[in-house]
Amino acid sequence: MTTQNSAALGSTTGEPEDQLRQRCIDGLSALLPAGLMLSSKEELKPYESDGLTAFRKTPLLVVLPETIEQVAAILKWAKANEVPVVARGAGTGLSGGALPHEQGILLGMAKFTKIIELNPERGYARVQPGVRNLAISDAARPHGLYYAPDPSSQIACTIGGNVAENSGGVHCLKYGLTVHNVLEITVVTIDGEILTIGSSGQDSAGYDLLALMHGSEGMLAVTVEVLVKLLPEPPCTRLLMASFGSVEDAGNAVGEVIAAGIIPAGLELMDSPAIVASEAFAQCGYPTDAAALLLCELDGLEEEVTEQIENASKVFTRCNASKLHIAADEHERLLLWKGRKSAFPAVGRLAPDYYCIDGTIPRSQLSRVLKQMSIWSDEYKLPIANVFHAGDGNLHPLILFDSNIPGELQRTEELGSKILLLCVEVGGTVTGEHGVGVEKIGEMCVQFDQDALLQFHSVKAAFDPQTLLNPGKAVPTLQRCAEFGAMHVHHGELPFPELERF
Amino acid sequence: MNNNDDTAALQHAVQQAVDTSSAINIQGGGSKSFLGKGSAATTVSTLNHTGIVSYEPTELVVSVRAGTLLSELTKELAANGQSLPFEPPQHKGATIGGVLACGLSGPARPFTGSARDYVLGVRMLNGQAQHLRFGGDVMKNVAGYDVSRLQIGAYGSLGLLLDASMKVLPVPQHELTLVSTRSTTDDYSYVSGLARRALPVTAAAVQGKTQYIRLSGTTQAVRAAANQLEGDVDADADAFWPGLRDQSLAFFNTDKTLWRISVAEYAEALPLSGDWLFDWAGAQRWLCTDETPEAVFAAAAAAGGHAIRYGIDESAARFQPLSGTAQRLQKRLRDSFDADRLFNPGQFHPEFDSDSSIDQEQASS
Repeated sequence: MTTQNSAALGSTTGEPEDQLRQRCIDGLSALLPAGLMLSSKEELKPYESDGLTAFRKTPLLVVLPETIEQVAAILKWAKANEVPVVARGAGTGLSGGALPHEQGILLGMAKFTKIIELNPERGYARVQPGVRNLAISDAARPHGLYYAPDPSSQIACTIGGNVAENSGGVHCLKYGLTVHNVLEITVVTIDGEILTIGSSGQDSAGYDLLALMHGSEGMLAVTVEVLVKLLPEPPCTRLLMASFGSVEDAGNAVGEVIAAGIIPAGLELMDSPAIVASEAFAQCGYPTDAAALLLCELDGLEEEVTEQIENASKVFTRCNASKLHIAADEHERLLLWKGRKSAFPAVGRLAPDYYCIDGTIPRSQLSRVLKQMSIWSDEYKLPIANVFHAGDGNLHPLILFDSNIPGELQRTEELGSKILLLCVEVGGTVTGEHGVGVEKIGEMCVQFDQDALLQFHSVKAAFDPQTLLNPGKAVPTLQRCAEFGAMHVHHGELPFPELERF
Repeated sequence: MNNNDDTAALQHAVQQAVDTSSAINIQGGGSKSFLGKGSAATTVSTLNHTGIVSYEPTELVVSVRAGTLLSELTKELAANGQSLPFEPPQHKGATIGGVLACGLSGPARPFTGSARDYVLGVRMLNGQAQHLRFGGDVMKNVAGYDVSRLQIGAYGSLGLLLDASMKVLPVPQHELTLVSTRSTTDDYSYVSGLARRALPVTAAAVQGKTQYIRLSGTTQAVRAAANQLEGDVDADADAFWPGLRDQSLAFFNTDKTLWRISVAEYAEALPLSGDWLFDWAGAQRWLCTDETPEAVFAAAAAAGGHAIRYGIDESAARFQPLSGTAQRLQKRLRDSFDADRLFNPGQFHPEFDSDSSIDQEQASS
């Protein structure tokens, strides 16, 4: 989590930066209409980080193409001249996946904002990659349809970025991730070739490249068009809120409700610090005296939802829920969700900075992981608030800190790293939905052994042998892992406390 | 259920293939010979690699060894009120490894998702006999490329699957089938719109003039939905779905050539002669025909889809041929896992195993 991997860079010419920049400007000017490039210091400034602002780099230049052919021309030129290219959507990513390359081009897809076709009869929308996630559902709503994945940043994040990260959201337990809701994408390869992946049908010939592209963090190709599936809005949606006296009881209730055969559309858990912060921020009516809160949303036909709300209520009561409340109307339901969706900024008000972790764990390990985090929180004197996509085990601990205190960012990163490695140790993963980017590149060395990492690099090489697309992200080089000083943890073979610190 | 970890022996077998540069066919239950086989002289069987590695019903995740019989896994899940939501075909003797390698999903697919949708992680051997693990036992995981889902439907050409972790779901409380008669044959216009209705439909098919719709969910929801849809409840029709899933209906017993054509459910009728059966709400079309493979592939491609020939005849083409960038990239991808092309040579898209087609491609571009 320290310096960016430099071993896998495409550009190794050692050419002075100004000279390289000028060469890019000259080369691309010949291919593109005027006004699509930004190269002055002031213009480049807004692009120097994505949502992970702790990492900043200034690209050589920013290019904002308007057509697929321009994207192809840029990539072809970059390949011929061995200049790295980092694609960027809205820049809301939380792992530094769109962190620019100092000797590279930042390829901004912000001008691709058209919904090309929305077909309610056939249940799809064909959109450009810069269309915002929520804009798709907004456009589909008059037809009684919506696009299911709903990451918390859905108001700003774009569908191209969602594909690159395989974004989730609060409803993916029932409705799946981006990969489950995209039918087809069009990409441009580093060779400048335009390729359609997937189909308007349920599968396509050859390998499942559509699955491979999802979550590939802009390392294999650049997405220039996306065909998404639209789902009918459920006729009935109800939200059940349950308060608990302990996080363990709440965690246990999650398992019990699933064991009862109920698959909620959303199932979210918040601990006390997150509840208090969200309530102060959104005034949504959360019980601030609860140790833990479950938001359990059920949707479907009214008959079904009524039955399931009753069953879920019984389960929660049996699991020691201290209070149950069903949102009285749509207004209250949305308000209760607003509290959850604004949990990050809400917690952000409690301290000058916060650091968001994105590990996923088997749900059975929840209380063990929470207990250990609370011990470390005391040890590091850094408060942690927890929001948790409980249904699918995706944990978002938010570490509160003050970057103005010397050394506190480093201690925060160290604590974050410890938590991620604990997630791996209990059988989970270092990232559930935010991606590896530059942030978790070191932890990848622990989750994957050398052979698996080399296989990843081989996959990358099949698409981009010169490693020009988003170099240094997502998959660490072996050299990087040696520097990281970590070793692969086979389940339980290496007790966690003996791991080196990072 | 037998519980035996045969990883060491399988790794040894692949290592031997590497050492002797001799290709191998990977085989599970051998139940899907109608989907072809590799041309290697040696067969490596996964049948001794069996058993459930872990299964925690409240986590909705099962991890199972490739050689485990699908029938046994299904039984174990059912004992806990759960199932594989992609409704895999239960060909006699089928293993879970074979089902995943062929990427097969049953009638529920357009409504509940496909085999690859439910795969969370795999352990596998690549063409260097390296033992690799991708994904895991958790539902959300974006660490590294999604190599697990890439294996599904790759017919073993990217590696030997050892174990797979899959998401499972509760078996619906209640299920019923609605049957109705359309006024014309092969009219899938009604079923093709069902995915846009917020109803608990889990299968929809048309054979001749008969339309079948399956509803699954809570008793109340299924009853309410039945009132909103065409057709009468027909308990005898419940047996239609397993027959469709396993291609054991009389329709599939043909002297002609059987094709599976995958297109958008709303795609217009394809200009091919023969007998049709429409599954997946119209998105998976079965065709018994005397048309040539070229004609079938051309019609499928024109409709934006692809075709696969079912049948043991190894002399004719089976998979929709790929060309251009798609072929070149996928061939490179195969080589990135299995550079010496040891696994199932010639079975899946023979063009991936041929150097000449690529050379021509590059020469012409």
